[in-house]
Amino acid sequence: MRRTVGRRGTGDLLIALVVTAIMAALPFGYSNELLLFNFVTFLALSQGLNVLYGFTGYLPFGYVGFFGAGAYGFALTVMHLNWPPLAAMAAAGVAALILAAILTPLLRLSGAYFAIASLAAAQSVYEIVANPALEDVTKGPYGVSLSGVFAPMFSYQVGVAVLLFSLVVVVWLRNSRFGLALQAIREDTVSAAMAGVSVVRGRTIAWLLSALIAGLVGGVYAWHISVFYPDTAFNIQFSIFATVFVLFGGATTLIGPILGVVILYGVYNTIGITVPQYFQLIYGVLIVALVLFLPNGLVSLATRRGIRVP
Amino acid sequence: MSPEPLLEVRGLVKRFGGFRALDGVSFHLASGEVLGLVGPNGSGKTTCINVISGLYAPDGGAVVFEGRSIGGTRSHLLARGGINRTFQSPKPFLSLSVRENVEIAATYGNTGEPVDLPTLLASLELDRHAEHPAGDLNSAQQKTLDLARALATRPRLLLVDELAAGLNPAELGRMADRLRGLADDGMALLVVEHLMGFIDKVTDRVIVMNAGREIFEGTLGEATRDPTVVQVFLGGHVPA
Amino acid sequence: MLTHALFGGLLFGLYFTLVGLGLNLIFGVMRIVNLAHGDFLMLGAFAAYWLFTLFGLHPLVAAVAVLVVFVLVGLPIYYLIVPRLLVSRDSEMLSIILFFGLSQIIEALASIFFGTTERSIPGRVLGTGPVRILGQSVPSAWAFGAAVSAVAVILVYLYLYRTRLGTLTRAVMVSRDEALATGIDVHRVSAIAFGIGIALAGIAGVFEPFMLGSVTPAIGGDITIAAFAVIVVGTLGNPLGTVLGGIVYGVSLLLMQTYLSSWANLLPNLLLIGVLLIRPEGLLGRQVRRA
Repeated sequence: MRRTVGRRGTGDLLIALVVTAIMAALPFGYSNELLLFNFVTFLALSQGLNVLYGFTGYLPFGYVGFFGAGAYGFALTVMHLNWPPLAAMAAAGVAALILAAILTPLLRLSGAYFAIASLAAAQSVYEIVANPALEDVTKGPYGVSLSGVFAPMFSYQVGVAVLLFSLVVVVWLRNSRFGLALQAIREDTVSAAMAGVSVVRGRTIAWLLSALIAGLVGGVYAWHISVFYPDTAFNIQFSIFATVFVLFGGATTLIGPILGVVILYGVYNTIGITVPQYFQLIYGVLIVALVLFLPNGLVSLATRRGIRVP
Repeated sequence: MSPEPLLEVRGLVKRFGGFRALDGVSFHLASGEVLGLVGPNGSGKTTCINVISGLYAPDGGAVVFEGRSIGGTRSHLLARGGINRTFQSPKPFLSLSVRENVEIAATYGNTGEPVDLPTLLASLELDRHAEHPAGDLNSAQQKTLDLARALATRPRLLLVDELAAGLNPAELGRMADRLRGLADDGMALLVVEHLMGFIDKVTDRVIVMNAGREIFEGTLGEATRDPTVVQVFLGGHVPA
Repeated sequence: MLTHALFGGLLFGLYFTLVGLGLNLIFGVMRIVNLAHGDFLMLGAFAAYWLFTLFGLHPLVAAVAVLVVFVLVGLPIYYLIVPRLLVSRDSEMLSIILFFGLSQIIEALASIFFGTTERSIPGRVLGTGPVRILGQSVPSAWAFGAAVSAVAVILVYLYLYRTRLGTLTRAVMVSRDEALATGIDVHRVSAIAFGIGIALAGIAGVFEPFMLGSVTPAIGGDITIAAFAVIVVGTLGNPLGTVLGGIVYGVSLLLMQTYLSSWANLLPNLLLIGVLLIRPEGLLGRQVRRA
């Protein structure tokens, strides 16, 4: 019994390493490195959302809030404290963790209330960061420039490391007792408690892990693009895209979100992004169709037939 | 001579707004003993189980388990400490397999000797479904799975909330034997049930509740001859 | 200055009652959160803009047209989507995702057909200069918005409490299962409530360019949050509690704008989070929280 779990875990880990290796190697053969970086960003961000939504059932519409907190955690420590980028990356993670800790009470809310409250929370953080009254600290709506630490190739590879971290977290959750306990909490909190699972502790850990991933992704994003505005870092599109990718591929799995990003973000980029309205339209239609016809994502085509999907 | 009580409930009070769901309930329960809790709907039976299992904190009185006061302790700690329960409408982890359902309880809720899961599943006739999602089980099987989940934590006190409802006569008989067997192995059971035949077969002693209070304690046979009990159950028409 | 903020907030808040009313009616009857609410409102605003620009129609006429059209549009949307949703295991969660998708569709279509530039209707259409009510001078648009909202609230009240269909609607609000068991055509009742809910959003939209200055296809998201804040403060599922929610919202918004103007945008978000965490059942009661 435990051996099957172990073997599955090894297989899952192999997938995580292969995906990471491919993303690490691609810039050496493909020149559009900004596009590749966006793929890395969404691959990691989707897994971060998967940690929370897939394993606990909480859907954070305001997930971008942690991304933005990470981006500004990075930017502010570089600008004001002259921290080197890798130290600033740690600050990015810590910024997201602090925000998550402050917002922990939101976990008391159920489904829709949580989703909307988390969106309102992300908006609040945006309103604070972008407020002209705080120009001395955050540069308000005028944006930040981090040209002093600009290092596209190095920051790209750090992004790949963040991606590896997000994948490993999901592999761990899928193959550990703790991940199982989280899913029990998702299914029913009362039964989970009577199985001896600490509901509050479990979902708080998942919440912090998920926020940490988004914060690290936000930090490396800030580093990589080096000039950005609050509207960029708190763009709700990050939440929308990550949610759609996870839903499309299938939550709670490792490859579901990967499929979602590769297929949907791939299509998004090959057809072109000159007319964003058309893509918003396609994404909207896709979300509606998914909920109505394939609520458990692409992978459910296989799981429905009893095939285990990593 | 009565054995040292495993569970002692003293003057338990639980209010919902102005409504007193439990209004000073007291009883005790020893290891190896099966106590039935009967009474009309809304008399406070399930509330009693919910308070003892940590779902609600009591508003008054005391719950003492193995000499320690446990009123208001959170459910997952009680599960680890030897108290577990089943639910009237069980909510198993539907997307997880039957085995995983029980495995979670055995991992997180059991602090004693490891549980032999295959044997446990086989004894409850769930072994054939072990790898199926719990959502595929019918409602009687889900009730059995709920019991398996509780047993996987190796409870010394088991609270059973309307386990018999919805079972067919053959299943009822097997379930009654199962509960008796658990008691014979030393477990204390508090059983809430509407089916009097089941209560008769399983319990040593019953408490009859009405409007949050205990109105009778004794054997089921004595209860059926008690005029107050008869009045509560039959709405004032004491049969001649 | 304080009395002015309070009085203006009252009128402004009455308008926000109208903004939240339809969202709350739909939630009350179907227990689903229409995240596209703000986008339907945006469509109402564009309807008012085009009807005025092309035909010179007065907003009151536009409101009647919007009422009819939106009810008729709402019915098929209901039958296409909601019955399928309500049978699923986690309909509340799926509904929020689905309506989120719908809001994306509406916003995208509006951007494609109307463009993303800001549109506004000249304020003089609703009368020139401020009007004086009870010794306070307020923009005439606010008086208009508040009056239309009051009429809408009264009509919804009469519908729910004075018509047969309204009685059935209230029965469904209390318990969908019980209503089904007593033989009420729950889907018909719900479909009409859905249509009315969307139409109320549309009517609120007609006055949006006057109350908030202009309309773009992108306003939907913020409006939905504001509407949700209003109904959460009011009491979820109780359409008439929305009046209280709207007034609390309006008064606190104007107070913020008067005394802390640079932080006023924070208000709907903080109000929403605060009420959900501190008094999730709203000011008039009802449980929404878990564990």
